[in-house]
Amino acid sequence: MFDNPKIRINELSVGYDDGTQALSDVCLDIPENAITALFGPAGGGKSTLLRTLNRLNDLLDVSISGEVIIDDMNIFDRNVDVISLRRRVGIVFAQPIPLPFSIRKNITYGLELAGERRRAKLDDAVEGSLRSSALWDEVKDRLDDSANALSGGQQQRLCIARVLALAPEVLLLDEPTSGLDPISTAKVESSLQILKQDYTVVIAPSSIQQTARIADLAVFMLQGELVEWGSGEDLFSAPREKQTEEYITGRFG
Amino acid sequence: MIRLSRHHTERIVFAVIGLAAVATAVPIIIIVGSIFFSGAEAVSWQFLLEMPRDGMRSGGIWPAIIGTIYLVVGTGLISIPLGVASAIYLSEYAADSYWTRMIRLAIVNLAGIPSVVYGLFGLGLFVLFLDLGSSIVAACLTLSIMTIPVIISTAEEALRAVPQSFRVVSVGMGATRWQTIRRVVLPQALPGILTGVILGLNRAAGETAPILFTGAAFFLPKLPNSIFDQTMALPYHLFVISTQVPEMPITIQYGTATVLLAFVLIMNILAASVRSWQRRKREW
Repeated sequence: MFDNPKIRINELSVGYDDGTQALSDVCLDIPENAITALFGPAGGGKSTLLRTLNRLNDLLDVSISGEVIIDDMNIFDRNVDVISLRRRVGIVFAQPIPLPFSIRKNITYGLELAGERRRAKLDDAVEGSLRSSALWDEVKDRLDDSANALSGGQQQRLCIARVLALAPEVLLLDEPTSGLDPISTAKVESSLQILKQDYTVVIAPSSIQQTARIADLAVFMLQGELVEWGSGEDLFSAPREKQTEEYITGRFG
Repeated sequence: MIRLSRHHTERIVFAVIGLAAVATAVPIIIIVGSIFFSGAEAVSWQFLLEMPRDGMRSGGIWPAIIGTIYLVVGTGLISIPLGVASAIYLSEYAADSYWTRMIRLAIVNLAGIPSVVYGLFGLGLFVLFLDLGSSIVAACLTLSIMTIPVIISTAEEALRAVPQSFRVVSVGMGATRWQTIRRVVLPQALPGILTGVILGLNRAAGETAPILFTGAAFFLPKLPNSIFDQTMALPYHLFVISTQVPEMPITIQYGTATVLLAFVLIMNILAASVRSWQRRKREW
């Protein structure tokens, strides 16, 4: 179905230090320039999988086995530069968490960390990324206001924009619309459709319906295991596994 | 037994806790009021800016004021970097282990040690063992040991109050741990850290016992020339003129107390305004 995997996950298992096994033997190819949607009930390992892809789980005590290969590079290799990995693989969280800066500074922050000081470059990044996340028109006249003055939906699009400003290759989104109203959600979803042309998008959608709307590749996860995956259409019209069918039709979850 | 209605209970409780609040405020108002009232007439530019004369029975308290400023600045130079760095280590880097728990325990206990013990410790370590003599530098080091625990615990609290999510977001955007601390965590914690710094230095400014054996001069009719000189200081000067000098005019005693109190009050007001500035500035 997809023959250009950007990320190849081989037998990935992740356990937390309290003994819970968050992921067990996950194998998955994530295609480039498509939206891969991880869905399933809470506790299925979606967030863990996303946070493993840019090694954000390093902040916690986790035990990891298996491989995640992005462009021929195993991200768990000893000599991998984690900082640059996180710039290549950006993440957006469920709660929009703007940093306590202005709108502009939220976006330039990541670039400044990497040493970018040229004003023109930074300004370009601000405008470009805000346009990509469909927020530019709403904030272009108040870029120096506090990011906290924005509504929840705007904050979430700002959080997407600040990741895009880093020009990542992969965009991870962990229930990015869970706190948003339907209009903001629609805006975020439509910007994802545009973004997937340039990025590899991996998302844990907020609902089954959202998965059905946006998934190119839909992956059903249950208690740390991949139950089934397939193109969005196939999986929702003709699920192969009984558990998938039961979840989609609302019998549990 | 009489059963009170909820409304009566409410009123009684309210009256009792209200009285308690008033009772704590009254002594402070009386102390500050009576000292300022009796001391105001002694305070003048001459009193502030002149050398003491006539065995301290007349003239001003300039060397004591300058000495206290020296001690506070010196103590700040030593204790702020050390205290803030320790707080950053404890809050941001140290894992929760047996050793860090021991360090925290030590800090809490340090804060509870009587100040005269610090004075004797300073005498033993800095004045005698390290041979710094009774000097400004020995006094500052002694005051720093007393101040650092205050700075560490308030600064660590301020750092921990910064939401963890900011750190995750920052690291997720490719920041190193230090970049995250430097650019996100510290600016947010700064007002809280400043409050702790001011409170700690405030205590250093007002203490007598720690400098008694380590650097305070009984009477020194000149300003110190180097950090290895002794110095006069307001709290010790007040102690001296209140207990050690016969026929000391009461107005000078009150005047000195007024100046010391004003010094400490100004620093307290500074700390309070920093705190309220922090609340207004906070964006989470």
